[in-house]
Amino acid sequence: MSMDADEDFIAQAMPAFISEAAEQIESIETLLLELEEQPDNRELLDSLFRCAHTVKGSAGIFGLNRVVEFTHHVETLLDRMRDGTIALTPDISTLLLQCNDQIKFLVDTAADPSADTPEQMDLRSDLVTRLCALTDDGAAAKTATAQAPATAGSESAARVWSISAQFRTDTFRNGMDPLSIARYLGTLGTVVAVHSLAEDVPPLGTLEPESCYLGFTMELETAASRDDIEGAFTFVMDDCELDVVAPESPSQKMARAIEEMPETPRLGDLLVSVGAVSQDRLQQVLDSQQHTPGMPSVPKAKLGDLLESQAGVAPEVVAAALGKQQKLRESAPSEDRYIRVQADRLDAVINLLGELVIAGAGATLLARESRQLALVEANLHMNSLIEEIRNGTLGLRMVPVGETFSRFRRVVRDTAASLGKEVNFEIVGGDAELDKSMVEKIADPLMHLVRNSLDHGLEPPQERLAAGKSAAGKLVLSARHETGAILIRIEDDGRGINRERVLQRAWNRGLVEQGVVPSDDEINMLIFEPGFSTAEQVTNLSGRGVGMDVVRRNIEALRGSLRLISTPGKGLQVDIRLPLTLAIIDGFLVGVGKSKFVLPLESVVEVIESGGQHIKVDNRGRHCVELRGAVLPVVRLRTLYSVESSLPERVSIVVVHSTRGQYGIEVEVLLGQNQTVIKPLGRLFKTLRGISGSSILGSGEVALILDVNSLVELTTSADAGAAQPGGASIGGGNLASAASTPNL
Amino acid sequence: MKESYELPSELTIYGVLDARTALLAWLEEQADGPDDVVDISAAKVAEIDGAGLQLLAAISSMGQAWRLCDPSERFSDACRALGFGHWLKGRPVRGHTGASK
Repeated sequence: MSMDADEDFIAQAMPAFISEAAEQIESIETLLLELEEQPDNRELLDSLFRCAHTVKGSAGIFGLNRVVEFTHHVETLLDRMRDGTIALTPDISTLLLQCNDQIKFLVDTAADPSADTPEQMDLRSDLVTRLCALTDDGAAAKTATAQAPATAGSESAARVWSISAQFRTDTFRNGMDPLSIARYLGTLGTVVAVHSLAEDVPPLGTLEPESCYLGFTMELETAASRDDIEGAFTFVMDDCELDVVAPESPSQKMARAIEEMPETPRLGDLLVSVGAVSQDRLQQVLDSQQHTPGMPSVPKAKLGDLLESQAGVAPEVVAAALGKQQKLRESAPSEDRYIRVQADRLDAVINLLGELVIAGAGATLLARESRQLALVEANLHMNSLIEEIRNGTLGLRMVPVGETFSRFRRVVRDTAASLGKEVNFEIVGGDAELDKSMVEKIADPLMHLVRNSLDHGLEPPQERLAAGKSAAGKLVLSARHETGAILIRIEDDGRGINRERVLQRAWNRGLVEQGVVPSDDEINMLIFEPGFSTAEQVTNLSGRGVGMDVVRRNIEALRGSLRLISTPGKGLQVDIRLPLTLAIIDGFLVGVGKSKFVLPLESVVEVIESGGQHIKVDNRGRHCVELRGAVLPVVRLRTLYSVESSLPERVSIVVVHSTRGQYGIEVEVLLGQNQTVIKPLGRLFKTLRGISGSSILGSGEVALILDVNSLVELTTSADAGAAQPGGASIGGGNLASAASTPNL
Repeated sequence: MKESYELPSELTIYGVLDARTALLAWLEEQADGPDDVVDISAAKVAEIDGAGLQLLAAISSMGQAWRLCDPSERFSDACRALGFGHWLKGRPVRGHTGASK
């Protein structure tokens, strides 16, 4: 089918189509991989078919013949699989994945036919040949190309559908055309008859020619389903009154009647089904209810009451049935509805919200100072509303990381196959939510780490067996929330980091001075140095020495940190800690002298009192106190950051928990909970350790936001070179390593 | 024999505003009444969409009788697809005054 509309029109609507199609293509991949694991899952297969069909359908509307033709072959194969004539084998799965890649290519280059290179065409015709070889049972002649989509699912009998569509006035303005839709419908089968509905078209003299008054009725003979037919109208649903009527045999009619039965069963039906009342008796009662004289002021007797009084149904039974009915009504699944919103607009709202939070805090402060109770109360109410809006709005940006994770299934599958390795890939905690922008930015670094584990970490089967492990390697990608942050962990049971080789390489490359042996953890972290690679043989996956340093940079740019725990011979664990959002946190405001600091509220455990002047601290402000029989290390902010003021008699210690366990932060004033809008630190202060950002308080003052994890490292790293328990760390400041590695 | 009106080669949503003006002016000049059949040629139409077809349907809505001449293949194709196949029979299309918007 061809497209009459101008190229401009296509260009306008194309982005929406491409993004829709990209989602479908992603789902196809996910579904295929899931289907590999559970080949008998009919639901997955059906979803898969629907996705492919949707891509084909919408491509058809846009006149993207290449997509339609190619996807059609895929659809045919999927249809055979649904029939059960073809079972999913690993080969077919691979073929379908390759086909999906091709569909993606076709969709991506939809706007630019010149991008279709001869290689891609060859690849495509090869795929089509292989698809046809599978679907042709030898009977039909092999028509590798130019098949009309009408043959899709030709096994089921074609039926004549009556379609009637009346379009609304904005159809043309929304870039849609009844003509294109009518033409697309034609590709689904045979058009028996089509009549235009032009009675509503105003006379030429008063016609607004850019408004649409057209409609059509069509008799379409096709094996396609109702969904398929209505699919043609996907893009005009809002602009169109559509009626699709299937010609029905009695059994079909009944099936449809059942389908169209109200979601909540009627009370009488419920009672009949459990045998509480017979159908006849129910009918009698219903009749009598109907014939009760309709007094306008007296409502009709309720069926339940009538059944109790006339049919002798026990009141408990009626009550139970009514309760059940109510429950069913409530649990009726509400249709998923989505609105596409441009990310920029959402960002603008969130930005404004940040300002609103600050303004709200300012107003609260003034209200308190005015000591007018009513005003304070009004402000409190307003602030709680602002908080709800804040949570709701930030929630809009949150997406489950699982979507990104499942993309890796394909990478793992293909990479493992090309390396001749066997891998069991597991995803844990995919429903942990993370800010959308973070998810986008973390995908590439994660991909790299996953590839790295596959390529360098996991051994080939023989080597694994020789080492007493199972032939198939294990790779686990997990995510979970951890005190205001998300922890993403990539864990394999491969060979771990070969420290000797890493060190040798580092010496050779001049990353570490010849002969100097850093701590184990520092050696581990060397793999993240620019220009470092230990792969003995450069593969096309990793091993060029580009990437791992970029991974580290990307993660640091997100205020995240990276940690390696390597057990030679047993495996490698990479922990990535990321803040949930880059915008706002719940903060605990404290004061030291005239300076204000904000602690992330999630990290605060409790606050204890302590005698200020009497406790001796070292030059970095460190000391210890006893807390319920245990020793608690404490850092005095005043000394650490050289805040000038006189030390008060009593001070407070805020107990926080960090990745290194609990410790105390000694402050002088507690100022309470505060919604903190994070503003990044200026470039000059980027190197400041222990501080993750700044915030403007309602009073206009600037408060610095403390990063409890990097603060603890800042204080423990005072003994330069001392090994830190539990692994090396970057991203939180390690002054000692910062001094020795100029790239930090 | 009166001259027929030649539809532009591109009769789509992008040109329907101008096309309507031109067609209306021509009709006022040519037609001697609703029953006087005017000829409209679609010989040169290479690009046609729903909005273009609607323009012709609006002639009928005026109550004006008209006849389609020499439709290009592209044009005929579009007529058949959207259910305006009866225009292609070479017979006058009777006007009606159904729409009252």
